[in-house]
Amino acid sequence: MTLASFSAESLLQDLASIKTQHEIEQFYYREAWLLDNIEYEKWLALLDDKLHYFMPLRRNRVKNSRRVKDAIPEYSRDNEFAHFDDDITAMKGRIRKLLSDYSWSENPASRTRHTVSNVIILDDENTDTIEVSSAFLVYRNRLERQVDLFAGERRDVLCRADNDLGFKIISRTILLDQSTIMSNNISIFF
Amino acid sequence: MNNDDSINEHWSTQKITGLVNDQDGVLDARIYSDQALYEIELKRVFARSWLMLGHETHIPNKGDYLTTYMGEDPVIVVRQADDSIKVFLNQCRHRGMRLARDDEGNAKAFVCTYHGWAHDIAGNLVDVPFEEQAHCDHLDKSKWSPLQARVETYKGLVFANWDSEAPDLLTYLSDSLPYINTMLDRSEAGTEVIGGIQKWVIPCNWKFAAEQFCSDMYHAGTMAHLSGVIAGLPEEMNLEDAVIPTKGNQFRAKWGGHGTGFYVDEPGIMHAIVGPKATEYFTTDPAAKKASERLGGEMLGERMMGQHMTIFPNCSFLPGINTIRTWHPRGPNEVEVWLFVLVPKDAPESMKDEIRKQNIRTFSAGGVFEQDDGENWIEIQKVLRGHMAGKMTLNAQMGLGQSTQENSNYPGRVGDVYSEDAARGFYTHWMRMMTEPSWDTLKPE
Repeated sequence: MTLASFSAESLLQDLASIKTQHEIEQFYYREAWLLDNIEYEKWLALLDDKLHYFMPLRRNRVKNSRRVKDAIPEYSRDNEFAHFDDDITAMKGRIRKLLSDYSWSENPASRTRHTVSNVIILDDENTDTIEVSSAFLVYRNRLERQVDLFAGERRDVLCRADNDLGFKIISRTILLDQSTIMSNNISIFF
Repeated sequence: MNNDDSINEHWSTQKITGLVNDQDGVLDARIYSDQALYEIELKRVFARSWLMLGHETHIPNKGDYLTTYMGEDPVIVVRQADDSIKVFLNQCRHRGMRLARDDEGNAKAFVCTYHGWAHDIAGNLVDVPFEEQAHCDHLDKSKWSPLQARVETYKGLVFANWDSEAPDLLTYLSDSLPYINTMLDRSEAGTEVIGGIQKWVIPCNWKFAAEQFCSDMYHAGTMAHLSGVIAGLPEEMNLEDAVIPTKGNQFRAKWGGHGTGFYVDEPGIMHAIVGPKATEYFTTDPAAKKASERLGGEMLGERMMGQHMTIFPNCSFLPGINTIRTWHPRGPNEVEVWLFVLVPKDAPESMKDEIRKQNIRTFSAGGVFEQDDGENWIEIQKVLRGHMAGKMTLNAQMGLGQSTQENSNYPGRVGDVYSEDAARGFYTHWMRMMTEPSWDTLKPE
C-alpha cells in the first residue's frame, strides 16, 4: 500500500475484514478443541435449531467432454443416499447415543485431532449469515492400534451468536476426500 | 484318480467338513481367518453362487452401467438395447486391464485405456487399433471378449453367477421367497432404488456380517445396539423405558443357507431404526394392509416387524427398513460393504425421503446402529490372530433342536426369533459348497 492510496475508510474496511477472518478462525479452533475433547454437549450448543449436517457420497467419474450432458454428478444429490443428512433432532440423538455407556464404537473413546485450515470467507455480504470454506484433517486413533485419517472440505453457513464462541453453525456440508470410506465406521464428527 | 481328497495343500474335504457341526451347533474359528480357506471360498462359494449386484432401477436406460464385484472379480453390469442385462468381467483380454474405471454411467462402448481395444455394451470385442497393420488379420476378435456371467433378476434385484452348472435363481432361492417378497413384492409397483451406493471397509471376515443378517436378532435384542436405540428415543424417554421385543420367529431355508428372522406385533426396534412415520407406513397404513393381502396374509405383512435377512452367501437386507447390501470379500480379514436403499415405488415421495433419511441416520457407515456392528466384528477379527484364540471352537447352539416344528403362521423351518438355527444352516451350506465340487450332490432335492 502506498501512502497515496491510504484512506481511513479503506483501513477500517481492511481491519474489519481481518477481524472477521480472525474471529472465524478462532471459532473453528475452539470448535475443534470441543470435538477433540468430546465436549459434545457444548458442541451441540453451537448448532442452530435449523441445522443441516450433510456429507454426500462421492463417486469415481471419468471426465468425458464429448458427453452432451453428464447425468451423474460427482457428489450424491439431495434426494440420494449420503453419509450424513441430519437435522438437529437426528444430531441430538447421535450425541445422546455417543455419550451413553453402550456406544461401543466410541467406548472406549477414539483419540482425535481435528486440524482446520485454509479458511476462506466466501460470502459475508449478507448481514445475517457468513459462508465459509475450510479444509480439515482429522486423525483418529482408537483402542490398541487403529488409525484412521479423514481429509476434506467443509462448507459452512455461520451466523453470529451470543455465546462464548461468537458463532453458530446453520449448515455444514462436508466434502470428504474418499469415495470408499477406508474406516470401519464414522462415529466422530467433522 | 487316487483317494487324496485334498482341495489345496492345506485343506482336505475331511478337514473342512470338520469345521462346522450342524448337529452339535459348533464352529471352528479358523473359518473366519484362514488364508487357504479363503482361496477355496473364492473358487467354490463366490464363483458358483448367485451374487446380488444391484437393482434394475440402477440402470434404467440402454447403455446404463454400474461397476461392481463378484467376490474379488470386478464386473460391469450393463442395460442392453433389448432391455436385458449383461454382466461381464471388467477386464480386457489383451493385458487384463480394467475396462470401466468409474462407478457408474452411460456408455456406447467400453474402450480399454491401455491400448484401445473397444467393446460394445454387450461386452463383445469389436475394434482393435491397427488391426490390419499389426495383427495382419490373424486376430479372431470373437474369441477375445471379456468373460460373461449368467444373469437373472428377481423382482428387480439383479443377480449373476459364473457357474453354468448352478441351478437357476428361483431354485437357488429355495423356500425363502415368501421372506424376500416382504421387501420386494409389497405391491404390483415393486421397488426402486434411492440413488447412490455407500461403500466402506470393515477389517473383518465377510461371514460375520452375512451371518448376522441371516440369523442374529439376539445382538439387537441384547447388547450391541442399545445405544442405537437411545439415539431414536424421544428426549423425555430413557432406555429403561424402552421395551425390547421378545415375540417373533426365525426361518432357516431348507436348502441354500438363506435365513431370516423378525418380530411379530412388536414395533419397538423398527420404531428405533426408521422412526414413527415409516413404522406406521409399513405396519398400520392402508399400504401395509394392501401389502398383507399380496404377501399372503397379515402375518407376512403388517404384523411382521424388524426383519433381517441374508440370501447366501453375501446379500443381506432388512425389509421394512429397506437397507440392502452386498458384503464383498477382501481377503479373510476384510470386507467391503456396498449398500443402497430400496423404497416402494408407489410410496409417497415424502415417505421415500423419510426412509432415505432414517437409513442414513441408522444403517450406514455412520449410522447409529451400524457403527457398533463394525466395532464388534473388527475386534473379533483381531482376537482371532492368536494361535489359541484362532482355533477355538465357538458356540452356535441357540435353539438347537427347537426349529423343526411346523408353524401355522410361517412357511418352512421356523423357530423362535432368538435362535441360531439359520446360522447353522448358513455355515452348513457354506461347508457343503466348500467340499462338494459337483452340483450333482449339491443341488437341492
